Amino acid sequence: MEGQRDTGLNMKNKLTPKNIILGLFVCFLPLLMYGIDAISLFLSRSDIYLDLPSGDYMLRIIVRAYLYMLLAIGLNIVCGFTGQLDLGYVGFYLIGGYTAGLLMARLGVTYWIALPLAVVNGALWGLLRGAPTLRLTGDYFAIVTFGFAELLFRIVKNEEWLIGGPNGLVRDIPPPAIFGMIFNQNWHNYYHVLILLILVVFVTYRLQHSRVGRAWVAIREDEQAAESMGINVSRYKALAFTVSAAIGALGGGFIAQFQVNISAPFFEFWESIFILCMVVLGGMGSIRGSMIGAAILGSLGEVLRPGFIIPYQFGNARYLIFGIILILLMRFRPGGLTLRKA
Amino acid sequence: MRNCIIILLIVGLVSVWGCQPASKDKQEPQRELKVAVAAPFTGNAAAFGEMIKRGAELREKEINEAGGINGMKLTLIFEDDAGKDAEASLVAERIANNLQILAVVGHFNSSCSLAGKPIYKRAGIVELSPGSTNVTVCQGSDWTFRNLYRDDFQGQFIARYIDEILTDLQSVAVFFDNDDYGRGLRNAFVEESQKIGLNLVADEAYERDSTNFKAQLTSIKAKNPDAIFISGLYGQAGLIVKQGREAGIAAQFFGADGVDSPDFLTIAGPAAEGTYLTTPFTFGAAGEDAQQMASNFEALHGVAPDTWAALTYDAVGMIAEALEKTYNSEASVADNRKAIRDHLASLDTPEEGYMGVTGLTYFDINGDTVNKPAYVKIVKNGQFVAADQQLLDLN
Amino acid sequence: MAQFLEQIINGLVLGGIYALIAVGYTMVYGIIQLINFAHGEIFMFGAYIALMLITVFGIPFWIALPLSMVLCAILGMLIDLIAYRPLRNAPRLSALITAIGVSLALQNLARMIWSARDRQFPPEILPTVFQGQNAFLLPGGATLPYRDVFVILLALVLMIALNRLIHLTKIGKAMRACAQNPVAANLMGIKTNQVIAITFAIGSALGAIAGIMVGVSESVTPTMGYYKGVAAFAAAVLGGIGNVTGAMLGGIIIGVAEVFGAGYISSGYRLAIAYIIMIAVIIIRPSGLFGRSTGHRA
Repeated sequence: MEGQRDTGLNMKNKLTPKNIILGLFVCFLPLLMYGIDAISLFLSRSDIYLDLPSGDYMLRIIVRAYLYMLLAIGLNIVCGFTGQLDLGYVGFYLIGGYTAGLLMARLGVTYWIALPLAVVNGALWGLLRGAPTLRLTGDYFAIVTFGFAELLFRIVKNEEWLIGGPNGLVRDIPPPAIFGMIFNQNWHNYYHVLILLILVVFVTYRLQHSRVGRAWVAIREDEQAAESMGINVSRYKALAFTVSAAIGALGGGFIAQFQVNISAPFFEFWESIFILCMVVLGGMGSIRGSMIGAAILGSLGEVLRPGFIIPYQFGNARYLIFGIILILLMRFRPGGLTLRKA
Repeated sequence: MRNCIIILLIVGLVSVWGCQPASKDKQEPQRELKVAVAAPFTGNAAAFGEMIKRGAELREKEINEAGGINGMKLTLIFEDDAGKDAEASLVAERIANNLQILAVVGHFNSSCSLAGKPIYKRAGIVELSPGSTNVTVCQGSDWTFRNLYRDDFQGQFIARYIDEILTDLQSVAVFFDNDDYGRGLRNAFVEESQKIGLNLVADEAYERDSTNFKAQLTSIKAKNPDAIFISGLYGQAGLIVKQGREAGIAAQFFGADGVDSPDFLTIAGPAAEGTYLTTPFTFGAAGEDAQQMASNFEALHGVAPDTWAALTYDAVGMIAEALEKTYNSEASVADNRKAIRDHLASLDTPEEGYMGVTGLTYFDINGDTVNKPAYVKIVKNGQFVAADQQLLDLN
Repeated sequence: MAQFLEQIINGLVLGGIYALIAVGYTMVYGIIQLINFAHGEIFMFGAYIALMLITVFGIPFWIALPLSMVLCAILGMLIDLIAYRPLRNAPRLSALITAIGVSLALQNLARMIWSARDRQFPPEILPTVFQGQNAFLLPGGATLPYRDVFVILLALVLMIALNRLIHLTKIGKAMRACAQNPVAANLMGIKTNQVIAITFAIGSALGAIAGIMVGVSESVTPTMGYYKGVAAFAAAVLGGIGNVTGAMLGGIIIGVAEVFGAGYISSGYRLAIAYIIMIAVIIIRPSGLFGRSTGHRA
């Protein structure tokens, strides 16, 4: 621990040249990407094709990686801060996605209203799921969360009258718009998700370094001790579930307009595991760790794509290698990538 | 904060690496025309992807052996969407922004075609699906086409066939795959049945990954239907027929195009005997082109082609024909892509349609194929043969 | 009535299979507190290995069956040795993630080796017991295939044998000791790692035989491990995770409930029924139907 308590507001010593460059890089990344596209397009006129990926495709991967960062940070609140294993995080992602998607596609609600409603709905469900599970710990909590997400998945698949399409298909979700300006390009989505991500990082960071965050850590370390120190364990846990669920639903609301058509397979159980792996990979209980984990795993599948596509019986090697990487990481860095050795 | 830089570097590097095209051929002497084939080569629908790939490869080989397209070589680029819409949208972005790729054959799953649709539309590249039958796939985009019929036609067709041709079947049960394909087809079937007064006695669902259907079959059996319509894919349909016969169900089984695969026969074994199924195309009822294609296919891959291989074979052929007629090496990529679309969109009457092994294909205003008839096949002595009576005109 | 009877049989067969798989989950959990996600994949490998032994090597069914069990037992021990043993003292979540990694790797390895399509045991080489058309006719028109009787009896016999093994033999005692307190057991001279390896071996062998039974009556696919695995896991929870007898009864209950739910309530929710039961049990009685009421496990 550093001597001074970091409240997250002390900006003075954070304005280092390195951070400024980083900030600028993040802000102008789409420009860079479209620069690549422009060069490729220019060269293609004279029949020169570079072995370069297109900027639009990379932007989409990055948008997805950012979205996973957002989700990983949300999951980290329950898993990392309060130390509960949540195997059903995708449930909130689903609720956010379907709340926003159905409101927009079927009722014509604008995105700017649908997104907050999705977040509120997610938070409500987080509270709802949290209530009966407050007293559960460890694996029992994990199992309930798993079952909860699977149930939601089945409901979306089966209740066609509600969803409007087979297999949870919601079609033609309109893009967000302000005064007739339609935001459906990749760079729109880039800044869109970046703003959401910064918001989430800010809120989570402030929570982590506040009274609430310390209470969560106390609960994680020893629930009974925390209780005896006068911490209202139930209340703080419920708060953690709610915030975490709200962030998940926020991600869902974003993906609904990003994908235009969503269906049930987006919210499969494996997606929960995937997000959990990101949190664990980066190191539980650390916002930065979650982000690193999400950046790596969120883009790993695309990295492994070109190498393993040609002989199609080896196409599955992508996930095989994914599994092996998980095993090796846990073997050699069980505390996650960012955890410093104690 | 250093870690944040590392994150970004990782994302950046990873995506740079990830985006390299799979083939790294240096300086081809012959000019290449690249067309992407996007299908599920891994994942649960991989068996379909395998046949799609084989069908496409056969056509690629034939075109190139015949001298290519106006002397240029056709190169197919296979991209795997794993049958998942999340992957499909990434694959779509990858393809759509690759300036060497002129058109896309795919995707197979309706949900994947829908996931790719907005991206292809934005980038302006043709998406010609050889397998998506969901009603809405082609709506709302000028760039999406398909060369097979829609679920609603097929569902109607089966209901009418049972009602008009197999008149001794009084009651029908539906057993559907709880997925976009199975449910879409079932909805169309149920709707038409109610319209024409077919007696529906049971309506049960199953999950695509399950292999045990005893519970649902037992409750269907208790309703004692004369016919059972399986709205799903061959893997499960084979097991359903087999387990159904074992459970003592004597009813007539009915399947749709998803059942049309040689694997259905091997899985169901002798229980498959007498099963009716509809298909957009059947090698038995098709012309000499199809027979020729089937024997070439077997010579190349060692297995018999199925419907999807044939439809992909035609889809690649349609794109190749469009390229042959419209490709202009002076024009920009966007213009060439647009020219392919315009060519496909111009195939809107039977006279202008494309004659392939699966029959005549032409498009309506949405890009749907409307004219393609459905054929009825029946399993006899472990083989698919054309049924004695066909229902060729729905109206 | 015939329908009811047949559904009961369907449920018992499914339940027997679930019980065989659930035991593997629960035994491992009881000793190292790890939800072994890879267990479903071992179940799948059991079916594939037997299929390969029969179709590629031409080994008769009744020899391929035990051989596949042995090979799967070795596979289970290998997984423990390579993946889980180095993590014994690591945070529990790391081991869980490893288990997920192993599961992913094995499932996709199977896809690579055997492709994603469904495979069948060739009917001509199957013993007559497993030929689906051989069935008893019950009053009321219900049929009862020999195969179903065989599966139910097999599950029952294996369960009783396992129960005896745990309660009467020395290794069973060592397992129980490790489950109660691995450190103390180690101090008492029990080689914990050996006991854990044997636990994996037994669980995997039972999983393999369940896989073969599913293979002969349904089909063999790379994803079979996931769906059956999840339901079996629910069964283990229902019986009180870590409790072997509970897992057996849990398996039967989940199997019957799933079949009845699909048959009489809604077939679209067939797989969800296991989860609903599971959640209800945990919230109302967290230690499972047959577990000790020790309250919350950490």
